[in-house]
Amino acid sequence: MQNEQEFSKAEKFWMNFKLYQLWRFIVLNVKIYTIAVQSKWH
Amino acid sequence: MAKVLVIGAGFAGHTAALYLGDTLGKSHEITVISNRDVFGYVPSWVWVGVGHMKPEQTVFKLKPVYDRMNVKFVHAAAKEIHPDAGDQYVVGEEVGTGKEIRLDYDYLVIAPGPLLNFAGTPGLGPEGGFTHSICSLPHAMKARDAYLAQCERMKKGEKVKIVIGTGHPAATCQGAAFEYIINVHKDLLKKGLRDKADILWLSNEPALGDFGVNGVQVKRNGIVQKSEEFIKAVFNDHGIRYQVQTGVTKVEEGKIHWQNYEGEEGTTDFDFSMLIPQFKGQPFKYIGKDGSDISAKLVNPAGFVLVDGKYGLPYPELTQTPEAWPAQYNNPTYQNVFSAGIAFAPPGPISKPFTNKNNLAIAPAPPRTGMVSGVIGRVVAMNIADLITTGKMTHSERMTEMVAACIASMGDSLWDGNAVTIVMRPVVPDRKKYKNEYGRDLFISHLEMGVSGAWMKFMLHYTFIWKFKALLGWKLIPE
Ligand SMILES: Cc1cc2nc3c(=O)[nH]c(=O)nc-3n(C[C@H](O)[C@H](O)[C@H](O)COP(=O)(O)OP(=O)(O)OC[C@H]3O[C@@H](n4cnc5c(N)ncnc54)[C@H](O)[C@@H]3O)c2cc1C
Repeated sequence: MQNEQEFSKAEKFWMNFKLYQLWRFIVLNVKIYTIAVQSKWH
Repeated sequence: MAKVLVIGAGFAGHTAALYLGDTLGKSHEITVISNRDVFGYVPSWVWVGVGHMKPEQTVFKLKPVYDRMNVKFVHAAAKEIHPDAGDQYVVGEEVGTGKEIRLDYDYLVIAPGPLLNFAGTPGLGPEGGFTHSICSLPHAMKARDAYLAQCERMKKGEKVKIVIGTGHPAATCQGAAFEYIINVHKDLLKKGLRDKADILWLSNEPALGDFGVNGVQVKRNGIVQKSEEFIKAVFNDHGIRYQVQTGVTKVEEGKIHWQNYEGEEGTTDFDFSMLIPQFKGQPFKYIGKDGSDISAKLVNPAGFVLVDGKYGLPYPELTQTPEAWPAQYNNPTYQNVFSAGIAFAPPGPISKPFTNKNNLAIAPAPPRTGMVSGVIGRVVAMNIADLITTGKMTHSERMTEMVAACIASMGDSLWDGNAVTIVMRPVVPDRKKYKNEYGRDLFISHLEMGVSGAWMKFMLHYTFIWKFKALLGWKLIPE
């Protein structure tokens, strides 16, 4: 964030840039799945 | 043959029933009693509430699933619980006939979700009040109709005031209200009506982005970023006004009365408002062998089931005592009675509570989200299976160990939708394990906004409905 209360132009660009978002989709899925599945070992 | 009875078929009860059916169903009697014969995928009611999803896409019939999973289904509302040894049973009222039924058990799982306590705030709620709710499917449909009626007014050029947030000083579930407000914003934007609406976030949180969990903190490029700044940026970006540290005390037609931390009393006008009510435990009767009321042994004054937590610690001590949070979710007096999901009593708040000079406690109650409810449902089911097969429980998971991932969508479009993805570990800060002031794993915890979140939310809807239908590979999908 460019200051504490606003998103910068660059951040907004990346939020909507589909190829980058596809990468984030994969990263987030892997991250959430990996940590969530650990719960099954409890 | 042991008898296991589950009350409620939501995120917690239904998850427990699936694991129980899977592990014990062929050799023991597993029964679910639910006052609704469908499973409701609650998170998507946000989309129902803005008219973006058909109600029938969020529900499916329970009985065919239970038939496959060796679980008996009873379509009835539980009313009384008789837990004394020797004669343990639940009394319910069959839906449709009103007939009284008796269900015996050896192990009981109480998972009926919350009682939506609209009565706790005069004038609140869609039944006899002036505000709306998205906490049940009929409520979400009513909210949708009222919201769309306001859209018609806006189309004629009228200006409309929209207020969304919490409707009681001790309400929880801020995440659902947050998702709703940004969906309303996005919907109005798409309809070309956004300039006609003044949208206000009104909440009991101590700070913006608190969500009843003391906020979320993440480390990015060596700097700690807090959900307060992040959500402020979201609201500023969307032109949504906000007012936190506020407890709603009463609602009249078009007017919300509130008090804030400073003890000031004020009112806010509205044309359309969706405010989450206080949650309480379901008002079951707990009856002893001699017919006496034994509620005090089983539930706290709000009706939530007492389990293996350490209750009564002052907030500063609780924040330093992660082991005060329950691990196995059974009642200390009646150890074969378990509770899961919103129904169990947390040992105290996660967010810092506050009482103003008028003695009004403005303090969000701890949320027990879908993921938390599902995890507890599984832990309880696996422990009951342990007790029946080996006599010893081997599973446990405290909210101070659990991860939660929440995706707050902004619209449902896969092209220009957006969503805030929030991951926190643990849900309840553990200041013994994580030696920072937040008690969280700042590497795992995550805050991000982008189209990818919208894709995740869409995917989660279908993945979880797949899981809850117990279709191929359902156990591989985490809760
Ligand atoms: C609009 C909304 C959006 C949300 N979005 C998210 C999200 O994105 N992610 C997330 O993690 N969480 C989300 N949540 C929270 C999540 O839905 C709850 O945490 C979860 O539903 C709690 O599960 P539960 O099983 O305790 O209760 P419930 O899901 O409410 O289930 C309780 C069940 O018990 C039944 N019952 C009630 N009384 C009786 C009775 N007397 N006898 C028999 N049965 C009874 C009810 O009919 C119901 O089927 C959201 C909540 C709302 C309201």
